[in-house]
Amino acid sequence: MQASTLERVVPGVVADVILDVRNVTKHYGGIRALDGLSLQVVRSEIHCVLGPNGAGKSTFFKMLMGTERPTSGSIHYDGRDVTRLQAFERARLGLSVKFQNLRTFGDLTVFQNLFIPLRRTCGPSEIPDRVSEILRQVRLPGVENRLVRHLSHGQQQWLAIAMSVASRPRLLLLDEPTAGLSAEETERTAEIIHEVNSEGMTVVVIEHDMGFIRSLKARTSVLHYGRLFAQGSFDEIAANEHVRQIYLGTE
Amino acid sequence: MEPPQSRIIAALNGPQTLGNSAFFWIFAILVLIVAIFFPFYASRFQVITASNLAISSLLALSLCLIWGYCGILSLGQASFYCVGGYAFGVVGINLIESAGNTNLALIAGIVAPVLLAAVLGWLMFYRRLKGVYVAILMLIVSLLLGLFMRQTADPSYAIGKAALGGMNGLRPESAGDPGIPNITLGFGEAVAVFDGRSAGFYWLVLAILVLVFLGLRWLVNSTYGYILIACREDSERTETFGYDIRLVQLSVFCLSAAIAGLAGTLYTAWGTYIHPDGFSVAPNILVVIWVAVGGRKDLASVIVSTVALGWLSLELSRYGEVSLLVLGLILIFAMMVARDGIVSALGEQIGRLVAARGSRREIVACFKGGRR
Repeated sequence: MQASTLERVVPGVVADVILDVRNVTKHYGGIRALDGLSLQVVRSEIHCVLGPNGAGKSTFFKMLMGTERPTSGSIHYDGRDVTRLQAFERARLGLSVKFQNLRTFGDLTVFQNLFIPLRRTCGPSEIPDRVSEILRQVRLPGVENRLVRHLSHGQQQWLAIAMSVASRPRLLLLDEPTAGLSAEETERTAEIIHEVNSEGMTVVVIEHDMGFIRSLKARTSVLHYGRLFAQGSFDEIAANEHVRQIYLGTE
Repeated sequence: MEPPQSRIIAALNGPQTLGNSAFFWIFAILVLIVAIFFPFYASRFQVITASNLAISSLLALSLCLIWGYCGILSLGQASFYCVGGYAFGVVGINLIESAGNTNLALIAGIVAPVLLAAVLGWLMFYRRLKGVYVAILMLIVSLLLGLFMRQTADPSYAIGKAALGGMNGLRPESAGDPGIPNITLGFGEAVAVFDGRSAGFYWLVLAILVLVFLGLRWLVNSTYGYILIACREDSERTETFGYDIRLVQLSVFCLSAAIAGLAGTLYTAWGTYIHPDGFSVAPNILVVIWVAVGGRKDLASVIVSTVALGWLSLELSRYGEVSLLVLGLILIFAMMVARDGIVSALGEQIGRLVAARGSRREIVACFKGGRR
């Protein structure tokens, strides 16, 4: 089945699933951040996850990356149960994440920031070329020797994306890649995401910005109270009365 | 093809250490020359003191490595130092007569603390303990070891010919047995004995300090050094790039224990004496002060501050207990004026002055050249 047709995936159709989240629950004390979430991501698609604050989106990513463990349920990546794997093991299988708060290394230079993800897969002599290549891809050429904390917020956002694509992952998780960006910067971010997707990366994006999600033309899942609330193409989601209600808070 | 000496210099230089200019290296060599000739113009007492300061610098470097470069603050670094010292002493007392050298004792002084670090590190890092928990756990380990060693005055606490000796310190079990030996290297008849009070011992310690310093400079500027720094800045993020940070932390912790153990071994041989007080709070905190005041993120700064503060402590020791108080005040002052250390801050200032004269460009070029 071709990835481009998978926007119309319907339940029961066997698709090429790269990520299969089964009934995942996460409790923090008495709070249920995730409450039996099940969700599938199809290989080579861009998949948007949206939901109101506290819906469990960022928790969901932490479960996927393995920086935290689910209370129950399981996560299958590429046909393999990765629920018990450590974060570094998942990274080596081809998962990569950009966290919501950028988590770049502020006191290091841009070159050094990219050196760290690159060095695991590249020899030291290849790194300078790879760094300039990646920086061109994220529209940040020539900033190698700048200290990261001296970059603008938008530049740091792109650097954070660059760091997570540096290892050429197969499944890229982006938590709010346009937070704090201007309209123009947001547009460029969408271009970057389309570009890495066209290279074959599956991309899961958490977002709030409706215009941005529309421009991604992606299959969209809505989370609410830690569960999958609705799923479909962006237009279907945008037209969904219940989704509007949870966003606008009307009953 | 670059000439080999410039490749060696390039491997020792990098963004993880201050002082990458020709100016720095020329200055460092001048200081080394002064240090090498020190016994020819200093008094015997001054040479003995200098040996002690060099040993302290080794201990400080061991904490600098884990705290400054990997972000693991240990308040129990002196425990590795003392375990190394005790291990050297115990093996030395037992084997000096039969073997005629302290080769094995020296190895024991390094291996014993590494084993302790491996067990503790495995328990802490594989359980993903970090920050203040590691710091306090290490202090508790040190205090417990001290508590145990204090009550070993009973003769039943003997390992072969070595009696642990409780508050009397490590000593031979009977009067006929040898005491803690000098460092004696070599085999059979061909041995070199380094009496802790001699200039020879001073040169030995100086040589070890230089080698450890250069080795660490190479290490922290290598790929491994990058990963250490990344762990320091954000260990969880580093893990999501595919690095097993537990292994990184465990390995650097063991390396640090090896250096601290070597320092403790040299200390024990220096004074032919090791005592449970070494495990107490004051020595553990003292190392932290040396490292913090100098600048925990730079190796050379830490050596400078350790020598300066160690010398100051000795000068102040004639006034009784005032020295730790003064060092504490210096620490507070240092944290207020330069959070990353006074010596580092001064070094950066000098670096800027030197850079204004053009050598900075070489460093950047050398770094961008894609060293390992």
